[in-house]
Amino acid sequence: MKPVFALRNVTKKFGKQIAVHNLTLEAGPGQVIALLGDNGAGKTTAIKMLLGLLTPDSGTAEVLGMESRRQGQEIRRRIGYVPDKPALYEWMTVTEIGWFAAGFYPHGYLETYAEMVRSFGLPETKQIKHLSKGMQAKVSLALAMAHKPELLILDEPTSGLDAVVRREFLESMVDVAAEGRTVLLASHQIHEVERVADSVAILRQSDLLTFDRLEVLKNEVAELVLTHPTDEVFAFPFRDIQIASRHDGRQSVHLVRGLPPSQQAELENLHAVVHLQVRTPSLEEIFVGYMTGSIRRRDDAPVEPQAEITA
Amino acid sequence: MFFRIDPHNGVAIYDQIVRQVKFAVARGVIQTGELVPSVRELSRQIAVNPNTVARAYRDLQNDGVLAGVRGTGLEVTPEAARLCEAERSELIRQRLDSVLREALQSGLAPPVIRQMVNHSLQTLSQEPGEEL
Repeated sequence: MKPVFALRNVTKKFGKQIAVHNLTLEAGPGQVIALLGDNGAGKTTAIKMLLGLLTPDSGTAEVLGMESRRQGQEIRRRIGYVPDKPALYEWMTVTEIGWFAAGFYPHGYLETYAEMVRSFGLPETKQIKHLSKGMQAKVSLALAMAHKPELLILDEPTSGLDAVVRREFLESMVDVAAEGRTVLLASHQIHEVERVADSVAILRQSDLLTFDRLEVLKNEVAELVLTHPTDEVFAFPFRDIQIASRHDGRQSVHLVRGLPPSQQAELENLHAVVHLQVRTPSLEEIFVGYMTGSIRRRDDAPVEPQAEITA
Repeated sequence: MFFRIDPHNGVAIYDQIVRQVKFAVARGVIQTGELVPSVRELSRQIAVNPNTVARAYRDLQNDGVLAGVRGTGLEVTPEAARLCEAERSELIRQRLDSVLREALQSGLAPPVIRQMVNHSLQTLSQEPGEEL
């Protein structure tokens, strides 16, 4: 299957600062891919390289079979993009900015735009500068979706917006995916990601730590709560599968990935372990573990999570 | 029918959908021959990835609760009510087991746990019912 977008071994530096380091990421049609990471992890830089707004120092970026470096303009015409801070002509009204944007896109754009403006409940004759932040975000989303793009890229689109607007964004994303189109979403709203994402990429300080199907990630990661006979620091024997750990008194908590039953039994039989409890962590706990843990990039990280058949 | 999805409650989202459909059938909220919402409708309604909804519907078809109707969608099968009533007890028993296992592991004595269960049951059965 041809990827809708692909970054292959992409590195980008700003001066001495590495923004993105050897990043490989791709997605097929109908997938919702979430990019999670702290501020400055490289999410926006990665997106801008796909859009051809930034040129990678090495590696390749492509979207819909076009090379981002050379065909950025055509790519930006074909996809939809909602930036974190939408730059809209503030003196235009909601309807006027639709007319303006329609000039760049094929026929049918204006009709779809008008339809979305109505369904979002936007005041058609009001100037953008007089709209609330949430309404401006909805204008930006309507502009990005009115040509029914095969790929919709959202860069923290709902940060600072109220729950009702966030819900509307979520519903729009789900709708795009239901039509077999692809969504790339950079977000800090982990609860939302947990609902809508097929696959999740976790970035930390320019490195990709994991890129997997959400259900695979949630199945493979477990939290072990160990109780020890003394409050000596426990040396966890399986460091290669440990994502993060905490110690407190006679207990230690270890977030691990892919613990085989044999190793679990081994742990239970240790003298230094009185009790072992296995918990299923939420995506938020997994994310925090990756952000705070000692793990660095996984060099065997799979390039493409296995695609599931869409109904 | 209405769904309530909580991504954090430890049950996979597709499984929450499967359960809620089964419970709704068991209670007669949706009946034989009635259609469930399309994948697209439901995924939008509960703001959940359509692949997740599709997976839940596949499971429900495999379990014989739903069946495809040519060109219209998925409907509740004639056997569904009987299947779901049996399944409801089983699903609830599993949930109870896990809570009781936790209670035992925490060191509470069985008589104390039994007292707690009775007390909760009494309190909850006086409240207006809420969907799982």
